[in-house]
Amino acid sequence: EDWDMPMAYSATNFHSENGAKFAECVGAGTNGEINITVHPSGSLFKGADIKRAIQTGQVPIGERLLSGHQNENAVFGFDSVPFLATSFEDSGKLMAAAKPKLEEVLADQNLTLLYSVPWPPQGLYFNKEVNSVADMEGIKFRSYNNATSRLAELTGMLPVTIEAAEISQAFATGVAESMISSGATGYDRKVWESLSHFYEVDAWLPYNHVMVNSEVWAGVSDANKAAITACAETAAADGLEASKAYTQFTLDGLKEGGMTVGRAGDQLVSELQEIGETMTAEWLEAAGDDGTAIVDAYKAN
Amino acid sequence: MQEAYVIALFLFILFLLLGTGVWVGLALIGVAYVGMELFASGPTGDRMATTIWSASSSWTLTALPLFIWMGEILFRTRLSQDMFRGLAPWMARLPGGLVHTNIVGCTVFAAVSGSSAATLTTVGKMSIPELRARQYPEKMVIGTLAGAATLGLMIPPSLTLIVYGVTINESIIKLFFAGVVPGLVLAGMFMAYVAIYSFVGRDWKPDVETGMSFADKMKNSRFLIPVMCLIAAVIGSMFAGIATATEAAAIGVIGALVLAALQGSLNWSTFTESLMGATRTSAMIALILAGAAFLSLAMGFTGLPRALADGIAALDLSRFQLLMVLLVFYIILGCFLDGISSVVLTMAVVEPMVREAGIDMIWFGIFIVVVVEMAQITPPIGFNLFVLQGMTDHEMSFIARAAIPMFLIMVLMVFVLIWFPELATWLPDNVRQAPG
Amino acid sequence: MTVVRRLLDALYTLAAVLAALCLIIILALIVIQMLARWTGEVFPGAPDYAGYAMAAASFLAFASALNKGSHIRVSILLNVVGERMRFFLEVWCFSIATAAAWYVSWYIWRMVGFAIKFNDVSQGQDATPMWMVYTPVLVGAIILAIALTDNLITLLVTGKHRIVRDVTDAHAE
Ligand code: NA
Ligand code: NA
Repeated sequence: EDWDMPMAYSATNFHSENGAKFAECVGAGTNGEINITVHPSGSLFKGADIKRAIQTGQVPIGERLLSGHQNENAVFGFDSVPFLATSFEDSGKLMAAAKPKLEEVLADQNLTLLYSVPWPPQGLYFNKEVNSVADMEGIKFRSYNNATSRLAELTGMLPVTIEAAEISQAFATGVAESMISSGATGYDRKVWESLSHFYEVDAWLPYNHVMVNSEVWAGVSDANKAAITACAETAAADGLEASKAYTQFTLDGLKEGGMTVGRAGDQLVSELQEIGETMTAEWLEAAGDDGTAIVDAYKAN
Repeated sequence: MQEAYVIALFLFILFLLLGTGVWVGLALIGVAYVGMELFASGPTGDRMATTIWSASSSWTLTALPLFIWMGEILFRTRLSQDMFRGLAPWMARLPGGLVHTNIVGCTVFAAVSGSSAATLTTVGKMSIPELRARQYPEKMVIGTLAGAATLGLMIPPSLTLIVYGVTINESIIKLFFAGVVPGLVLAGMFMAYVAIYSFVGRDWKPDVETGMSFADKMKNSRFLIPVMCLIAAVIGSMFAGIATATEAAAIGVIGALVLAALQGSLNWSTFTESLMGATRTSAMIALILAGAAFLSLAMGFTGLPRALADGIAALDLSRFQLLMVLLVFYIILGCFLDGISSVVLTMAVVEPMVREAGIDMIWFGIFIVVVVEMAQITPPIGFNLFVLQGMTDHEMSFIARAAIPMFLIMVLMVFVLIWFPELATWLPDNVRQAPG
Repeated sequence: MTVVRRLLDALYTLAAVLAALCLIIILALIVIQMLARWTGEVFPGAPDYAGYAMAAASFLAFASALNKGSHIRVSILLNVVGERMRFFLEVWCFSIATAAAWYVSWYIWRMVGFAIKFNDVSQGQDATPMWMVYTPVLVGAIILAIALTDNLITLLVTGKHRIVRDVTDAHAE
């Protein structure tokens, strides 16, 4: 059986490289009975279309940043609540706490979760030094969803909507002056050409999830299921390590590019924590009992 | 062997449908359908719907109808006529005369728009009728327009460079800077060709503008002011950081409407005609884009471009040989795919090859853009040919033939880039943006 | 018959006018977004709405673009063959095109169905249910399919299709 696996990010991105290794592992583990071809760079389907494509059987398997789908179900945004889980370790616990609920929601959508790998933690980019929320007043902040808009609102920044394709140009021309993203994004887009400061506030660690169509999954033999699950476990562990390694690599890269990179000052951190609590409360309202269950399970750990 | 069979079949269906006169967009859908049914297991139609929706609803696409609309307004009011009235007395005596306006116009407009179709329709809508009225050889009018409009991809902003930069993680700003000088050089080469042709071309018999005194020329130049202001407003809004590229297109439309109103040539009929004309032209392009997106998806599922790139990787070539093979490879691919699709479908395999050969990735981006520019004017699937056919009613074969000299100039440009790599690398290496 | 004719023509015109309105909506959305940014306001979802309007504008104008001869085709062969052969070629072209347009319409119809079944919502800040924004595209695709069928039937019955190149588009140049 040949499985086409669309992935949204470029072939050299660590998620894509990890996915390619997973595909190889599956080929070997199933003795070539299931042969996965990865299609990176959104060359088959764009990121936004991949989940729907798997759901409707257009492709058997694929990778997607599920927090992009929070409008559909707030549970998908569990990994993007600002300042709820702010380290690889905490984020791993949050993922574990959320997994049963997430799998349940996905099952309703004809999807089976295979493995999840976090992106490096999200930090704040500015074109000047910022030590407190007051310093952020009036800065033009790139927002791309409701949460980032709300973050801008709570910090007194001006949210500006800039599509991904125009990020570099927008920073170069001053249409935007700040964004929240991982060190990796800034490194990949070489934002030091326009921005000067990166604060490691580790606001959240969004996950990429590799999912398979449930009907396809049901048709896989038990032996092959076991082989694929084993590969998925390896991929999750390897992906986590790659993400950690890449975090340091990109932070060094940002420094080398000439940016000031470092932890945020105490005042900024505590002010942001407060905003985080407000936003967690708001997310819990949207996510209802499911959200409360996830956060309670996470905090109990 | 499988590949050879796939290629033969794709080509047969493509030429059958296009050649018998099936509308281009629908013919592409037909080719992609056959390819998907034969070589990809799974639901063809649902995949098609996903792809067509995503290709048609893209936000970055919205600049296209706006620029087309701006061109329609300039054309249907007297604005474009005026611009030529201002330009003609100055340029008529130059070798090549007013044909240079095609190239200069495209170069200027390329700095506004990231796409070649928008550049082509806007400039063409204004220049074709004026150049025809002055009896310039049709082939030169059409050919230079087809060629020069591709500068929209090289001179920043450029959609192709954005996609390339994102695909291989290189700085988009550096790529943009890298495109400036080669873009101007290429424009210069087009102009040199026009100048030479004006001496040797047998059909070169344009109407000579009657001699004008310097004072009259100056007086006539006031006709240039409105359109120049418009261009300045569109470009300026982007560089001043008050508008993104798409928003600049909106400024262009509003500006054109305001100018036309000030001039008294805006009325209900010019407004609705320009609007309906723009709607139909952008629908024509959208149908082809939808078909091309589906074909590109089919190529992705068959794995054909990747298999071919893999084949090149296995050849183990020297740097120059590799560039030559890639040149031929992308020219052939460009006959059938649009530039962005060929980049996205092959870069996963081509990037490591090129990096391993020690080729500068910024420089290679400009190399790719020149090659992708050629794809715009090579039959059977060349967007500029389609757009020009829509605008002029000429057969595609006529337009493609008229564009051959431009194609050859672009091939020459590739060698110029290989001989003088600094053309692409000097500016990005030396312009360092001060952070903050 | 004339009633059907008048209804069909009205349908094509209506779709074209709606498409033109979508173009104005795109312009308005972008301008409002720009003004909002300049004044420190937010207009959430503006780029998404502009994208939907773009798709709607394209699909709703397909039929009118067909009837006015805006969609391009390679007509070398059509121009060199004789009258009788041209008739068969045109029948072939319209048959393929009609089939393709109905095929596309059917699968966009299915896409609308999926969107409702999976409660698909836009991923942007607009959070629009996807079936709503797919619908204009579906309608446009169906009207194109109708226009092609209309032309094919007219061609078979009268020997001539109904595409008339809009003179102001090309020949006036
Ligand atoms: Na450009
Ligand atoms: Na081509």
